[in-house]
Amino acid sequence: MSVEVLKTKAEQGLADQYTAARSGLPGAGNGWAEGLREAAWETYSSAGLPHRRIEEWKYTDLRALLRDAYPPAPALAEALTGEDVLAALGPVLAGLDCHRLVIVNGQFRLELSDAGGLEGKGEVFSLGDALGDPSHWLKQTLAQVNPPLNDTVVALNTALMTGGVAMRIADKAELGKPVHIVHMLTSGEAMSVTTRNVVVVGAGAKVTLLESYVSHGSAPAQRNAVTELVAGDGSQVHHIKFQNENPETAHLTSWMTRLGADVSYDAFQFSLGAAIARNQIFVAFAGEGSRSHISGAVLARGRQHNDTTMVVDHGVPGCESREFNKLVLDGSARGIVQCKAIVRKDAQKTDGHQMARALMLSDGAEFDSKPELEIFADDVVCGHGSTSGQVDAEQMFYLRARGIPEPQAKALLVAAFIGEVIEKVENESMREAFLKLTESWLAGEGEGG
Amino acid sequence: MAAVQETVDHVKEMEADKYKYGFETDIETVKAPKGLNEDIVRFISEKKDEPKWMLDWRLDAFERWLTMKEPTWSRVHYPKIDFQDLYYYAAPKSTEGPKSLDEVDPELLETYKKLGIPLKEQEILAGVRKMDEPSELDEAAGGEYGSGRVAIDAVFDSVSVVTTFKKELAKAGVIFCPMSEAVREHPELVKKYLGSVVPVSDNFYATLNSAVFSDGSFVYIPEGVRCPMELSTYFRINEKQTGQFERTLIIADKGSYVSYLEGCTAPMRDENQLHAAVVELIALDDAEIKYSTVQNWYPGDRNGVGGVYNFVTKRGDCRGKNSKISWTQVETGSAITWKYPSCILRGDNSVGEFYSIAISNGYQQVDSGTKMIHLGKNTTSRIISKGIAAGHSDNTYRGLVSAHRKASGARNFTACDSLLIGNQCGAHTIPYIEAKNSSATFEHEATTSKISEDQLFYCQARGMNEEEAVALIVNGFVREVIQKLPMEFMAETQRLIGISLEGSVG
Repeated sequence: MSVEVLKTKAEQGLADQYTAARSGLPGAGNGWAEGLREAAWETYSSAGLPHRRIEEWKYTDLRALLRDAYPPAPALAEALTGEDVLAALGPVLAGLDCHRLVIVNGQFRLELSDAGGLEGKGEVFSLGDALGDPSHWLKQTLAQVNPPLNDTVVALNTALMTGGVAMRIADKAELGKPVHIVHMLTSGEAMSVTTRNVVVVGAGAKVTLLESYVSHGSAPAQRNAVTELVAGDGSQVHHIKFQNENPETAHLTSWMTRLGADVSYDAFQFSLGAAIARNQIFVAFAGEGSRSHISGAVLARGRQHNDTTMVVDHGVPGCESREFNKLVLDGSARGIVQCKAIVRKDAQKTDGHQMARALMLSDGAEFDSKPELEIFADDVVCGHGSTSGQVDAEQMFYLRARGIPEPQAKALLVAAFIGEVIEKVENESMREAFLKLTESWLAGEGEGG
Repeated sequence: MAAVQETVDHVKEMEADKYKYGFETDIETVKAPKGLNEDIVRFISEKKDEPKWMLDWRLDAFERWLTMKEPTWSRVHYPKIDFQDLYYYAAPKSTEGPKSLDEVDPELLETYKKLGIPLKEQEILAGVRKMDEPSELDEAAGGEYGSGRVAIDAVFDSVSVVTTFKKELAKAGVIFCPMSEAVREHPELVKKYLGSVVPVSDNFYATLNSAVFSDGSFVYIPEGVRCPMELSTYFRINEKQTGQFERTLIIADKGSYVSYLEGCTAPMRDENQLHAAVVELIALDDAEIKYSTVQNWYPGDRNGVGGVYNFVTKRGDCRGKNSKISWTQVETGSAITWKYPSCILRGDNSVGEFYSIAISNGYQQVDSGTKMIHLGKNTTSRIISKGIAAGHSDNTYRGLVSAHRKASGARNFTACDSLLIGNQCGAHTIPYIEAKNSSATFEHEATTSKISEDQLFYCQARGMNEEEAVALIVNGFVREVIQKLPMEFMAETQRLIGISLEGSVG
């Protein structure tokens, strides 16, 4: 007997949206783009939104968490100035010296961006525009960089994406300043935003890429963002994410990354905001001798739900991977870390380690961890660790005995705990910014709890 | 043709050598007809002379089983089992008891010998004398109770053959008997505890077991009693195409202690045999249960043909305060192992432990681990798991550690290490760690690596061959767990590890 799966309200809403919007989405009329969307919609609609029976989404049940599908953001948002962008970024990040590329409500806004100085080192354009007349490299890349199998959230992104940044960095180019892609939400009403970035880093190039996700205003939003990144042989990539969206936002991001040979890939994700956040990272090693170091810091309180899910796929020999996540959970916040390392049969000499640590500040907090190893090669060194607990009583006593009041002593210990992972950010001004943000988060402790 | 036949025979011999316990005892048995339906359930119940409430319990389980689906989430692959193509009941034919061991079917005696059962117990097992009759051998042994201090309950195919040392145990107030006897003699205990840890509809195989369980051991340790000897059960699947569904229930009343050993083997068969057991442990206030398993069912031949499907549900309930349940397992056999001995830490200050060695070679598939569910305050648990994968095998550790909202002060330490031998095998670790209480402190670590070339070289330079060296290193790797085994099993296990890894190198 086959049982027809009933659509939830959100699923029905998404289906209606796709039917209504498909002819108006970027790339409509282009056979390739339409085919891509159609296939992705098939993948999505065969399973619907992921729920707790889907192993990878065990702890983040979107069918239950997303009550409704918000309408897509209007094609062109109201007039915005550069000042508004800086205000949304906040004082700490606004001062960052960088090439700023601004995406507002799903549209790449050239007039708000500053891509000057990139000439000769690469090209940047709007993905939305490019879908109508795709270049050869885009066709070779979009939706093909390490796509996760049966992930319906990524498929939904492909079906509904409205725009984003398409960027190609020339071989051996060295960018003096970080490229900063600002993903901004601004609206007085509830809306959904689906964006896609495609980044191809040429062989031997050196790039620092910062993606920030911020809100201008406090209206509820649903975000589904995907970044596909290809790192060419011998390139060095620093990939950083900063997320501080308003507490009404459901934030879903997926990074799909493929590393060539001898690549050095350092990623860092810093999560502060959103009601529900799911940070997916998929990294595949396609060339020998590469290393991938991914770390993350999560600060959550109130009823925030933060899920970091990673899959690191060692398909070739001689690569090294590190995943290091730290979470501070207060109030009734729920932190989740799922990290899976796959070592395929031929991936001998793999060196892979993962660690997740959670510090729980209140009784209502919850931490779920699932570090997973799937190993088919024998000559490997792999390990994982996971710990969770409260602030160490002895350390606390030590500080209190020296006359430091309890709240400050606690803040000091929490700052030290999370500081360890923030220190991994190489860019000094970003690192300083994140440490400052941690400080102010700690100062506001108790607000949301 | 002849040459081919010779080769076949030769290979057969070698295979038989590989599986030391691959002998089959040809004894007349009574079997229920093949297949499973309500009548079979009634037949089993009737054969065992069960009261009506037991039959109703079984029928209820069978009805639920019909609505359930086989689980598919584990990392094991096997052709679909035809549950109608199995015998659900086989019992050795009972005849008038022989007068002395000389009259007993020599084949049966040979079986006992291979199992290493002392002569005195063989007498009882073979039915020469009853439990409460004195044996001539008693005097010969000199001591009050003879030499062996292990009480054995042997389960052949589906039926408990006999239980030894019953009288002495009874003196201490300990009940140690076949499950079928407990149903008749101690219905109040069975009614109270059976299915209270593993509910009837817990999972597909546990429900199947509830409907057709044939026999198993029942243990009750009264309040304040320290069981005077190790209790042991020996399980053996002898008959072709039979499923073995034993059910074990151990209750340790307040302040009592018991150590229980379980050993399993099966003869060599081409077709797969099904083993779906349920084990329930209940520890009340201040009680401690130590449960050790050495599982060496037939793992299939070198091409992965045959072998036992071992789908077992084992769960312990630390129901009382300060209670403790400790699982130790050595898993070397079975084509497929699917078992997760778990502890529900319900009582405050209760302790759960899980020590495991899982060795897979050839085409074996192991998906095993544990669950530690912290419900009470200040509960602690410890998991030490050692997985060794060789040949074409797949070895998965799957575990859950969870702390309930009210489980303040919960503490867990987990270490799972995997060792890979050869490049055709796989080792996987899938732990779930769920902390819903901020005062819970959970630590988890896992490593996967291969045997160190240095260690191997060191041993070989001292004249060991590669296989010996590997066995030595592996024994070192699992030492932490072996030390947790009762004395009786330690030496045997070390040898077993060597045997299990034969053919894994070179």
